Amino acid sequence: MTITLAVPSKGRLEELTRDWFARRGLTITRPGGARSYLGAIEGLPEVTVRFFPASEIARELIRGNIDLGVTGRDLIHETSEAGPEAVEFARDLEFGHADVVIAVPEAWIDVTHMHDLADVASDFRSRHGRWLRIATKYITITRQHFAKAGIAEYRIVESLGATEAAPASGVADIVVDITSTGSTLAANGLRVLEDGVMLKSEANLIVSRTAEWTEQRRETLNTLLGQLQG
Amino acid sequence: MTNAAYRRSQLESLVEAQGGCRAIPPLLLSADPYFDLAGEEFGRRLLLTTDVTGAEYCLRPDFTLPIVADYIANGAGEPAAFSYLGPIFRQRETGPAEFDQAGIELLAQPDGDIALDQVLTFARAALSLYGITPNVRLGGVGLFEALLAQADMPDAWRPRIRHRFGHTEAMDRLLSRLEQAPDLPRTEQPTRDELVEDVTARMVSAGLSLSDGRSPEEIADRYLEQQALDAAHVPAATLKLLRDFLAIKGDALSALRQIETLAEQHRLFLGPPIKAIRRHLDDLGEARVTFDASFSPRLDYYTGIVFEMRGQGGTVLVSGGQYDRLLERLGATAPIAASGCALWVDRMEAEWPK
Repeated sequence: MTITLAVPSKGRLEELTRDWFARRGLTITRPGGARSYLGAIEGLPEVTVRFFPASEIARELIRGNIDLGVTGRDLIHETSEAGPEAVEFARDLEFGHADVVIAVPEAWIDVTHMHDLADVASDFRSRHGRWLRIATKYITITRQHFAKAGIAEYRIVESLGATEAAPASGVADIVVDITSTGSTLAANGLRVLEDGVMLKSEANLIVSRTAEWTEQRRETLNTLLGQLQG
Repeated sequence: MTNAAYRRSQLESLVEAQGGCRAIPPLLLSADPYFDLAGEEFGRRLLLTTDVTGAEYCLRPDFTLPIVADYIANGAGEPAAFSYLGPIFRQRETGPAEFDQAGIELLAQPDGDIALDQVLTFARAALSLYGITPNVRLGGVGLFEALLAQADMPDAWRPRIRHRFGHTEAMDRLLSRLEQAPDLPRTEQPTRDELVEDVTARMVSAGLSLSDGRSPEEIADRYLEQQALDAAHVPAATLKLLRDFLAIKGDALSALRQIETLAEQHRLFLGPPIKAIRRHLDDLGEARVTFDASFSPRLDYYTGIVFEMRGQGGTVLVSGGQYDRLLERLGATAPIAASGCALWVDRMEAEWPK
């Protein structure tokens, strides 16, 4: 019985993933080159490798259409509220480290913590005739985190690129964005709240819990994971 | 004849018999009013779609909003009663997104207490069609607001505490923060003008609009207010009162007695809201009634008394209460009394012994 391993299909993420496997003695091959979406692991015929965009890997892992794959932890959390329960984070690949954070304009000297934001949000509408607007591509994560913090009075503005520019362009008041060093945010006059880290993310080898795990397939998985020690 | 179809037709008759107007709002509604009223937290439950212009619509996620909005559009003011039964649509973790709700909305009734009686009676009658004797949980929004208004603390803290009512964790975090408030040495504060100048400079350099959104003056004022708040401690006795009060829950009569004792100790005048709650206990018959001082929906248009009725498995079958601030939120020019409840029809049917 074969199992399917999904690997990011392009760029640095693909390169780093293949390097990580190679350092553990497993060579991922892609016989058709960058335009092929099927690959293999040398010496492990029972593992089929598929190359997918990282966000599709997250989605397919949650649905159980692929058995294990490499993608960002943030994408599992963002794709579905039920995402983290549908998978198991098996190995931290030790690259792609980044935080999903809440950042406000640096000029907001009165807002340093989430509880300040709760105060500002609560009377924003009566002061400005509209809700506090948050630009982000992390809609699910933002909603969950804000619900936990007891903040309900805001609107999300979906932003698919250059989120850090949203306050200056007037699209939103604050942002939720991913950052590894914070320098892009700082360069745009934004400051991360002191308790504003919502999620620490990294590239992870993730096993689907919703895939069909027969005893044989489970055995194949364990063999593979056995070779992939930290 | 004790099948589901029979119970359903009985419920149908009960809804019809409510003497008001049977409301049938459209299935497809503009999504904006829902986001405007309830924010993203409710918004994530909507089933959304867009038209060719990009305008967002949702499948009807509840009856209250379209009924009340329609009432306001037709010139609010006259007492009105609406009842409904039909499908609503919400994203749920488990179970289908389409399910039936029934309920009533009593608007601009001359006596809010009598209106709430009617709501409770309707809910009990509906549950009894399904053979259910519910566990009723009451909450007192009016009671908490009365306590908060009288408790000894700097005024600026009152809205901040009110805002967290109904969210146990957020309230606990705020109270803990207040309990730990350190006695910071007062450093020299910049003046308001200096702050405004500083904030303006920062906003200009970041390319932020000074007029759309938060202005430099608003930020400076809140900054100063924040500094003042850090200095203006909520007395420890008040924090203890809030903790003690919010922890009270249990059998309604003894919970209310505990609250009366607490009110006496702290010289608070909570007679009217307690009396209002006690009055309604009689309507609830043999149902087991608990009062939970910390219980409130997280929407700030609720007022007075709120309630939930649960079945054997602990699932909420009915929720409702008084929401006198809702109509103003939706554009009415004056406060208008409102109360009502919504029943989860499939959950009620699931309680029927198999």
